[in-house]
Amino acid sequence: MYYMGVDVGSVSTDIALIDEEYKLVEKIYLRTKGNPIKAVQEGFKILKNKYEDSEIYAAGTTGSGRMIAAAIIGADVAKNEITTHATAALEIDKDVKTIIEIGGQDSKIIIINNGIVNDFAMNTVCAAGTGSFLDRQAERLEIPIEEFGNYAMKAKSTVRIAGRCAVFAESDMIHKQQLGYNYAEIIRGLCDALVRNYLNNIGKGKTILPKVLFQGGVAANIGMKKAFENELGFEIFVPENFSMMGAIGAAIIANERVKKTGKTNFRGLKLADNNIFSRSFDCEGCPNKCEVVKIYENNNIIGYFGDRCTKWSSKTAEKSKLA
Amino acid sequence: MKATFPHMGNIYIAVKALFDGLGIDYIIPPQNSTEALNIGTKYSPEEICLPFKIMIGNYIQAIEQGADTIILTGSCGPCRFGEYCELQMNLMKSLGYDLNFIVLDMPKDIGINELLKRFKKIGSTSTKSKLEKFKAAKNAIQIMHLIDEIEALSHYLAGYERNKGECKRLLQECKKEAMKLSNPNEMLSLIKEYKKRIEYVSVDINKDPVKIALIGEIYTVIEPYSNFYIEDKLMDYGVSSKRGMTPTWWLKNMALSPVKLNSLNIKKSSREYLSMEIGGHARECIGEAILSYKEGFDGAIQIFPLGCMPEIVSKSILPSISRDYEFPIMSLVVDDMTGEAGYITRVEAFIDLLERRRDNVLYGS
Repeated sequence: MYYMGVDVGSVSTDIALIDEEYKLVEKIYLRTKGNPIKAVQEGFKILKNKYEDSEIYAAGTTGSGRMIAAAIIGADVAKNEITTHATAALEIDKDVKTIIEIGGQDSKIIIINNGIVNDFAMNTVCAAGTGSFLDRQAERLEIPIEEFGNYAMKAKSTVRIAGRCAVFAESDMIHKQQLGYNYAEIIRGLCDALVRNYLNNIGKGKTILPKVLFQGGVAANIGMKKAFENELGFEIFVPENFSMMGAIGAAIIANERVKKTGKTNFRGLKLADNNIFSRSFDCEGCPNKCEVVKIYENNNIIGYFGDRCTKWSSKTAEKSKLA
Repeated sequence: MKATFPHMGNIYIAVKALFDGLGIDYIIPPQNSTEALNIGTKYSPEEICLPFKIMIGNYIQAIEQGADTIILTGSCGPCRFGEYCELQMNLMKSLGYDLNFIVLDMPKDIGINELLKRFKKIGSTSTKSKLEKFKAAKNAIQIMHLIDEIEALSHYLAGYERNKGECKRLLQECKKEAMKLSNPNEMLSLIKEYKKRIEYVSVDINKDPVKIALIGEIYTVIEPYSNFYIEDKLMDYGVSSKRGMTPTWWLKNMALSPVKLNSLNIKKSSREYLSMEIGGHARECIGEAILSYKEGFDGAIQIFPLGCMPEIVSKSILPSISRDYEFPIMSLVVDDMTGEAGYITRVEAFIDLLERRRDNVLYGS
């Protein structure tokens, strides 16, 4: 029996299957590429050859695309990323005090006290301090993002790069390049800038106590781990499945929910073959003019989103409380 | 004269009653929407705060319907709002609109006589008698007060209601029905009627909902479009919420400020952390954070537009309050982004946090 977690993020879509001991048995990492429906379907295509529907006892979604993913797969819960990340982190280590999570568009700090989330913060209106900051610069330097960390580790010294704004960091970086600094030093400078920005912005006013877990896609970057350690003055830990933590947390919470309700809403892996697509329209019912999204499966409407008054979304038959 | 005014929450209902009572021609701008924001963003200075942009959208949409006079409240205060009226006058003029601006500033800034003169300017196109004018103003103030009470009541009772969604439905229905009436007296009795109905909503007093206070910059806290309809969402989640900033509070605060008797409880509570007026409503934000803790709220959400100077100060004070009182406070910064997912994530996570802190469980339901 397995529990499934689907984390539809801005950059990647991760699908995790965990067993009854909450051990990860399957992980699928896909690029979302702006099409969450397709990403989920692709993931299911891989899964359906290996697993039977009856083996999946519960399914949960998380990430910014959690609502759409929940409608497609028939999730038992659609939970926010803070809760899923904290759940997964506490599952591997009960002593964790701080979680640093840096994803594509979001970065978060989660403070845990006595095993519960006590405080959290996320970046506000700007992507500086998130993964896309690094992604963007990696692209410009034409270095694969996977290699970024190793470059940083090669640097003997660092270059100061302004980290407040991802756009201006780039001009700062170009100027430093023109002065003759090498790639390694500049990349290390970028990691330092991101860490500085993170601690100054997201971590502002928060006390970061060990043990610290570093998760999310950016945790793959060893240069970032090192930069955090230099700044904080103690070791931080990257869990084995750092990029899957959200999906794992969603799977755990889904199991807890199904334990209570007794049955899953999961619609099965076969939906990989169905024709699922979305259409949007402007509702003219009132001056709010909500942009409503309709999700179709083989020409049957399976869900609506985006209407404030729930005029449309209440039409969908199975409208179970997901959040 | 065809008067118009910028939106801010429910204020349009009271203003409608006022103009109907005075017999003045007016245009209510279309409800705030992405369209208003788009127009505003196109013409406003790039770095100005969000309320300014939405207001410009309101003006232009109202002008398209024939408005020629804009009535707005002002302040000579030390935040950007103090510059709104001057900037907006210049901006509208440079766009080629020939408009009358009537700015209602605080009496302490322009003197009571000047304020009365400006009121007179609005009233001069009315053919009503003095008594009728007085009655119209009285009705409008009473309507504003009642609508604020109805909002507060339904936001609070939403956490206790037995029939999910009843408070929200009644509140929306009340506003919709009120707007159909052009006789202020009829509107007043309709609103009174709705207040009773909301007071008698079936509640379960044994429920112990999460209670959240909304604090921060006045416009973005009050105007639902700017804060992604956060109060509606909290009602949907079954959370009880409260906000101290209301048009009624604003009016009372303004009226009492010359004699320094305004918002005494807020001043007193905020003293330890922020002892002086720094513009905007920073002091109120701090004071309300502490007051809501003392009133037994589980947490507070601070909302402000990107670049709001006073609220940046309070944002940096709030963590100390959070620590000293063990009272979770989350800050939400709003700008011209209309993607809601990020905000919903934060609000949901905050509610989770409050629930779990209270029940001391990790997973919850």
